[in-house]
Amino acid sequence: MSANGAVWGRVRSRLRAFPERLAACGAEAAAYGRCVQASTAPGGRLSKDLCAREFQALRSCFAAAVGGGCSELRSHHCTPAWATE
Amino acid sequence: MLRSAGLWHFCRRLGAARVPAENLGRREVTSGVSPRGGSSSRALNIFDRDLKRKQKNWAAQQPEPTKFDYLKEEVGSRIADRVYDIPRDFPLALDLGCGRGYIAQYLNKETIGKFFQADIAENALKNSLETEIPTVSVLVDEEFLPFRENTFDLVVSSLSLHWVNDLPRALEQIHYILKPDGVFIGAMFGGDTLYELRCSLQLAETEREGGFSPHVSPFTAVSDLGHLLGRAGFNTLTVDTDEIQVNYPGMFELMEDLQGMGESNCSWNRKALLHRNTMLAAAAVYREMYRNEDGSVPATYQIYYMIGWKYHESQARPARRGSATVSFGELGKINMPEEEKSQ
Repeated sequence: MSANGAVWGRVRSRLRAFPERLAACGAEAAAYGRCVQASTAPGGRLSKDLCAREFQALRSCFAAAVGGGCSELRSHHCTPAWATE
Repeated sequence: MLRSAGLWHFCRRLGAARVPAENLGRREVTSGVSPRGGSSSRALNIFDRDLKRKQKNWAAQQPEPTKFDYLKEEVGSRIADRVYDIPRDFPLALDLGCGRGYIAQYLNKETIGKFFQADIAENALKNSLETEIPTVSVLVDEEFLPFRENTFDLVVSSLSLHWVNDLPRALEQIHYILKPDGVFIGAMFGGDTLYELRCSLQLAETEREGGFSPHVSPFTAVSDLGHLLGRAGFNTLTVDTDEIQVNYPGMFELMEDLQGMGESNCSWNRKALLHRNTMLAAAAVYREMYRNEDGSVPATYQIYYMIGWKYHESQARPARRGSATVSFGELGKINMPEEEKSQ
């Protein structure tokens, strides 16, 4: 683990930014979630790439989201303890 | 508070001298439990115990260990309640998989004379919490208990048996080391634990990758628990279940907390890599399917508490068939005054 500690550190710091960026893409995430949830209804069938379009929208929003500032809604999570080093 | 000066390290092969000669050829395990029903021949190897030790060591030496302790503290206090409910004191007790000693901090020295804290991770034993009971810290794997028969009055175990490979054997070993009229009080995670996480990952992986692999470890069902305890030889079983729901801002925070608790997945069949896309998809699905009104997402922890006793003549037994002196028909008359009963 110590040999690739630097790589691991970078991966973890990228992961830490995920929740904030996801929060900035609430609408796309909700659309994707609804699409997947609809397939769990009786008669639905979940297959690969069933919701690919919604997921692409989510991904592009996610990639564009800046991990810096905090939105108002999540102000009480602005400096979560686990994000500070 | 008295503590022993150092840790006792018990090598896995320590008990070899005590195993009867005819058993040596049959199995490689080394404690003195005689095989019952050939459970060792069907021993499963689901979890990588070495990795679990490393994960627990990592979790225990984090800069703020108390941040992730909330669940174990809560369950530890509930187990201590159950210990207090028994109107007895226990001169010698063992805490199996103690972590930082979450149960010992709630008990007092009138109830427990001496407490053995046993865990697989030495960092957890080194950072243990304050308690007034004299303790001895022992580095022990829950599957290979190095203690002699009829040693302990009380064995407690809080949230560590769900990582044991051969649970029937572990329970048999606990039964073995208990004194007659000794009691085992345990808590383990049950079938519905983290079902939201499991379902979200499953759905997201199916949609993104076309198939899914298990990411949440398999848990015991409550009916199996009763059978396991009975098979291990325990009497007067009590199993009850409790659900604790913890709200998190999102799925990533939940996974971070699970890692901080030392509860990361260590099964052999785990997938080495979870794609970022899949994680993102799972977080979106989790939020959409399970979120609360205030935007947080819940995670359910279902805890099974079990109490089992080792047999002793003084314990109550079921009455012999045909020895009844009143019939069920008279149940309705129990609270009536005497003159009405005779009518």
